[in-house]
Amino acid sequence: MAESFLVIDDSKLLHQMYRLIFSQGDLAGSTVHYAINGREGYALLAAHAELTLVLLDLNMPEMNGLEVLARRQQERLHLHVPIALVTTESTEDDEARGREVGAWDYLRKPFQPSDIQRLVRRAREQRRERGAA
Amino acid sequence: MTLEENPFGDLLQDYIVECLPLAEEVGHAFVELERRWRDGEPGDELLASVKGRLHTIKGNSAMMGLAPMRDVAHALEDACGFLGRAAARRGDEAAALLVSGGGLLVDLIGDASPETDGTAAKAFVEEVRRFLAAAPESSSAERDRRQTDRRGQPRIGEGDGAGNVVRVDFRRLDAMLELLGEGLIQHSGLTELYRRLQRRVGACPEMEELDQTVLSLQKTLTRLESTLMETRLLPVSTVFGRFPRLVRDVAHAEGKKVRLEVTGGETTLDKAVLDRLGEPLLHLLSNAVAHGLERPEDRAKAGKPPEGVLRLQAGAVSGRVAIRVSDDGRGLDADAIRARAESLGMDVRTADTAQLHNLVFVPGLSTAERVTTLSGRGMGLDVAASVIHGLGGTIDVESLPGRGTAFTLSLPVTLAIVRSLIVEVDRERYAVPLSHVAETVRAEPEAIRQINNQGVTQWRGDLIHVADGGAVLGTGGLSGAPRSYYVVMTAGARRRGLLVDRLIGHQDIVVKGLDPALGRPPVVSGTTILGDGRVACILDVVRILEGAGHVN
Repeated sequence: MAESFLVIDDSKLLHQMYRLIFSQGDLAGSTVHYAINGREGYALLAAHAELTLVLLDLNMPEMNGLEVLARRQQERLHLHVPIALVTTESTEDDEARGREVGAWDYLRKPFQPSDIQRLVRRAREQRRERGAA
Repeated sequence: MTLEENPFGDLLQDYIVECLPLAEEVGHAFVELERRWRDGEPGDELLASVKGRLHTIKGNSAMMGLAPMRDVAHALEDACGFLGRAAARRGDEAAALLVSGGGLLVDLIGDASPETDGTAAKAFVEEVRRFLAAAPESSSAERDRRQTDRRGQPRIGEGDGAGNVVRVDFRRLDAMLELLGEGLIQHSGLTELYRRLQRRVGACPEMEELDQTVLSLQKTLTRLESTLMETRLLPVSTVFGRFPRLVRDVAHAEGKKVRLEVTGGETTLDKAVLDRLGEPLLHLLSNAVAHGLERPEDRAKAGKPPEGVLRLQAGAVSGRVAIRVSDDGRGLDADAIRARAESLGMDVRTADTAQLHNLVFVPGLSTAERVTTLSGRGMGLDVAASVIHGLGGTIDVESLPGRGTAFTLSLPVTLAIVRSLIVEVDRERYAVPLSHVAETVRAEPEAIRQINNQGVTQWRGDLIHVADGGAVLGTGGLSGAPRSYYVVMTAGARRRGLLVDRLIGHQDIVVKGLDPALGRPPVVSGTTILGDGRVACILDVVRILEGAGHVN
């Protein structure tokens, strides 16, 4: 079955970049859901328990990345879905706060297509392990 | 890493589309912040709103490998963060730093390309660093953080991909337009041929089918035209973005307090029009600041708030784009204009106030001759007006003493294809842009009277002048017979009838420029090729209405 991903970012430009990345290599053909803010992203996360990986921007108006993570933890929503927090020159503080609310990994801008591919590989491995366990 | 090596390099246009408005909002906010600080308001929420936008610009620029934009956004973010905490440092110096950085960011993003030069960005980052270092509240932690934040050299990405937006050299769009123009001419030729053929063979199924084919070809060409035109359209904000900083600079130099309000930035215009619009608008705005708006103390005396309001508004009005530059300043001094016109030997005894106001577009008649370094860059109102006319536009001025002045520009959305009325005068064909045609009227000889050697007629309850086409175009008398129609032409508030022999019909014409060797003939703005292959001159309605022509 085709894999699916969720991108939550308030920048349309970043959506385009993800579209490029998810059209290449073994990611081609996967389903990618896009949300333009945290609120929309949370709704999509709730609707898709099968997601392989979520890429969540930290800085967004309305509901930012940390708020999405915090709410998801509080509501115990699909905790098996790994969420990578995407930041721009984040501080140790930001990352520590992210970890507290259940961020699975970090991705700092500027990132490359290979960074996403690496994250996806790790997410798949983890999924297999969980499936085997 | 250069942009070309960046895996997302193809998205440059998307980057500009997303980040330029953000940068412009940041720039506007800084200009507003400067005003608030000067008035002793904190402006905290403005600082906060700016930070999110700067953060997005920084992240996006980093993703694109555009280091100068990333660094300027980062430096501004730091400066805003610092000023959010250090209220004591808010003031003119800080505001000037922010405004110049905001302007730089707009310029850098607006012109983003693989060759974007980083010199100005480096200088600005250094300026911010010095500002922060000079600050007693400057925390070393802040600077440490900035250093540890920097990542190593980004790696060269693998793979190319096609985004949804491609960059196209504008000359290619011009070439496509030329081809479309030829298609339109061929279509007119085909239509003409069809009519002749129909007369010869009469009705039959094949003619019916040919008719349908010619009709659908026309529909296709029309759709191609509108698609191509849309491709050439850009929002006027691409030109407006530079103005807040300019207005602020002129206001500074002139000791004025000015608030610039910009609306309608999303209105679109053909790039060819936009490219030539920047200078005249810049002149009108700086002119308004330098000469229209009063100093704060004079405004106080006149019972106005110390801060002058300058409005720049754009919007679409019946197929054209209207741009209005208005101020709430002192207004034009009709008496001074009259005195100056008389000193130049003009007869203005019968001129009313509106006519006197419109004399500001006459060379040498601007009453504010003092040219400041920034105001107008040497361009006079007459030059601004002639640029607008050259674009097929009109400019009008309204003014109330003590209340302010408004310049209204009306511009064609595109220069390239103009829907025109084709007329015949003395066996030559001419194109009159339809945007300037109010009505065509059958010329009844008794309805046109001669007053002072000028034809005058009643039109919609007003008296208007009616000039002979042959006289205006310098071919008078060739046809011998009385003209059968007159075309009522309008531009802004001016109107005039032009007598012609025949009305040929409406046609989309592709404008060809005139050979520069011809100079600028007074009544013709360009040429075009008609469906039958004939060359026709396009009438320069604005100048004809101003009285150009062989017989006035």
